[in-house]
Amino acid sequence: MTLSQEALKRRAKRRTAETRFRSYGIIALGIAGAMLLTLFFTVFTTGISAFWRHEALIEFQLTEKRMKIDPTASYSDADYEKLARSAPYNLIVKDAMYALFPDVKKRKHKKHLGKMISYGAEIALRNAVLKGKAHVGDNFKLWVPVSDDLDTFLKGYIDASLPEKKRRVKDNEIEWVHKLQDNKLIRSSFDWGFFTRADSREPEMAGMGGAIKGSFYLLLVTFLLSVPIGVMAAIYLEEFARQNKFTDFIEININNLAAVPSIIFGLLGLAMFLNFLGFPRSAPLVGGMVLSLMTLPTVIIASRNAIAAVPPTLREAAIGLGASPMQTVLHHVLPVALPGILTGTILGLARALGETAPLIMIGMVAFIASVPDSIVDPSSALPVQIFLWVDSPERAFVAKSNAAIMVMLGFLLVMNGTAAYLRHRAEER
Amino acid sequence: MTSVKFSVNQLTVYYAIKMGMQNVSMDINDRQITALIGASGCGKSTFLRCLNRMNDLIHVAKVSRCTWDEANKAFVPTADATGAVLMDGDDIYAPTVDAVELRQKVGMVFQKPNPFPKSIYDNVAYGPRIHGLAGTQDELDQIVEESLTKAGLWTEVNDRLKQPGTSLSGGQQQRLCIARAIAAGPEVVLMDEPCSALDPIATGIIEELMGELKKDYTIVIVTHSMSQARRVSDRTSFFHLGELVEMNDTEQLFDNPENDQTKGFISGRFG
Repeated sequence: MTLSQEALKRRAKRRTAETRFRSYGIIALGIAGAMLLTLFFTVFTTGISAFWRHEALIEFQLTEKRMKIDPTASYSDADYEKLARSAPYNLIVKDAMYALFPDVKKRKHKKHLGKMISYGAEIALRNAVLKGKAHVGDNFKLWVPVSDDLDTFLKGYIDASLPEKKRRVKDNEIEWVHKLQDNKLIRSSFDWGFFTRADSREPEMAGMGGAIKGSFYLLLVTFLLSVPIGVMAAIYLEEFARQNKFTDFIEININNLAAVPSIIFGLLGLAMFLNFLGFPRSAPLVGGMVLSLMTLPTVIIASRNAIAAVPPTLREAAIGLGASPMQTVLHHVLPVALPGILTGTILGLARALGETAPLIMIGMVAFIASVPDSIVDPSSALPVQIFLWVDSPERAFVAKSNAAIMVMLGFLLVMNGTAAYLRHRAEER
Repeated sequence: MTSVKFSVNQLTVYYAIKMGMQNVSMDINDRQITALIGASGCGKSTFLRCLNRMNDLIHVAKVSRCTWDEANKAFVPTADATGAVLMDGDDIYAPTVDAVELRQKVGMVFQKPNPFPKSIYDNVAYGPRIHGLAGTQDELDQIVEESLTKAGLWTEVNDRLKQPGTSLSGGQQQRLCIARAIAAGPEVVLMDEPCSALDPIATGIIEELMGELKKDYTIVIVTHSMSQARRVSDRTSFFHLGELVEMNDTEQLFDNPENDQTKGFISGRFG
């Protein structure tokens, strides 16, 4: 085949354009990938250290005198527990530190010495006494968390070569901690409590247990409210409602609601649920109600699409056998549409899990130092917890907030993975 | 002597303002096969779906009778379909009739095999289950076996009843759908082009099956194949542009059509 000069030129031009077009796609993918990787890399490298914390092995002297317990008196169990609970453990911890470094005499230095150990040590010690692991009158050795400043230093985030004034960890503290390290009295251990403890002003004691449980309650309420309502609405609109102006109007509104900024739903929740109905502030119940308002349009739209995708021949088959419309929906349409409905629901819930703005409006942004026990207890939530920690001045909270982001991304990954799995299984059928 | 199962009078269907079928009157005999032939869109499927009130599900479809309006020289639909279709002398469009109960008595087999995405057993057992036809598991097993046997499928599937119905071949699926329809205990089986998605061998099996089934059931079949209508049916009706042109014994209609349009259609000149 011979081609004219013009045709050859056109061909070359066409091929260059083709290559250029494809390279645009690759560049776009590359940029998106690089951004994601940078995000994950920064979050991971900053956050990973928060899952570990440094602990010191300290010997505590639980003398009767310090515990304010009279060895000669006989107490009832309740009284004894009360005493054991209210004993001045902070002084016992300080005594133990002074005993470790008997050379330290100056009051100012002693103060530094006492500051090295977290107040978590007092809690750990009290729990040991109350559980009967440590006995009054004995000496008791226990691994206890060090203070957040020391922990930050030990993790290498504080530069010892800076002038002392610019550091939160002083020279003498560094000297002492090196001594402890030489005696193998300092260790770094995985901090399981990070996942179970509630929030705290002390970074080394702050955990995301409250936020995890709060988010769990939030999603539970959201799921229980939005799925039944959303699926029933979708079934009615798709299977029973006649196509007319009214249903068109409803459809347009559902689509619009899906695009309403979430903070608007928060405002609605504040006005309706808190101010008008008087529901408890900061509670997962109200948060879940607000989030289900936000999730409902997504669930309805996803469910409607899933139901509409069920082949009409299936409905005809059931109706032709004398199945009632309800039987047709329950026995044939829903089982086939279920994976699609679940996929949409999970994606909606995943979005709800990461939502912060509406929760701020209903007071879930408050500092809550306890893990919620029910859906009406004041509670935090994962994204709000991240927001709070990012907002905190202490250096250790930087790692904490990144660790919390990792945990939340983990939850999102699991949820989206489940959705993908369900979709895949539905496609196989 | 054959008796009349359905007596249809001036039946008319409009889809919104578009006429689907107008002024159709015919008798359908009990335990015979009645074939409906005609070009696409001539109203034969619409007619079939009136017999078990499947058109009720289409919101725009309006089933009614029609009357001759002398002033306009045209048929006009009346307000409702009362009296348009009588089954064993009872009006199936009477307000007291429950369409769901009617459809148990008038089963249907569709153009494309549409087994439920469930096991073969559950497909056949579905009708008896929802209509409470079997008191015990044994009775249900018996109904399933009988229906599959009648549909000529039992020997092929009796060892794999737990497998999904969708795993069968196209012809087997269609026979499964027939078994499913007769398991619900109908008196009439409507078939809407049951063989149009099947190969000639599967078609042959189903045609043979229809000959067996007509001993127990009244069968109305819509078909695009004139040779099929000729092979299987006792009576044939020819539809054209929404109207019934001619209805007669099959042999009579094909050998000696009275109407010119019928003659043209069966000789392949149009349609």
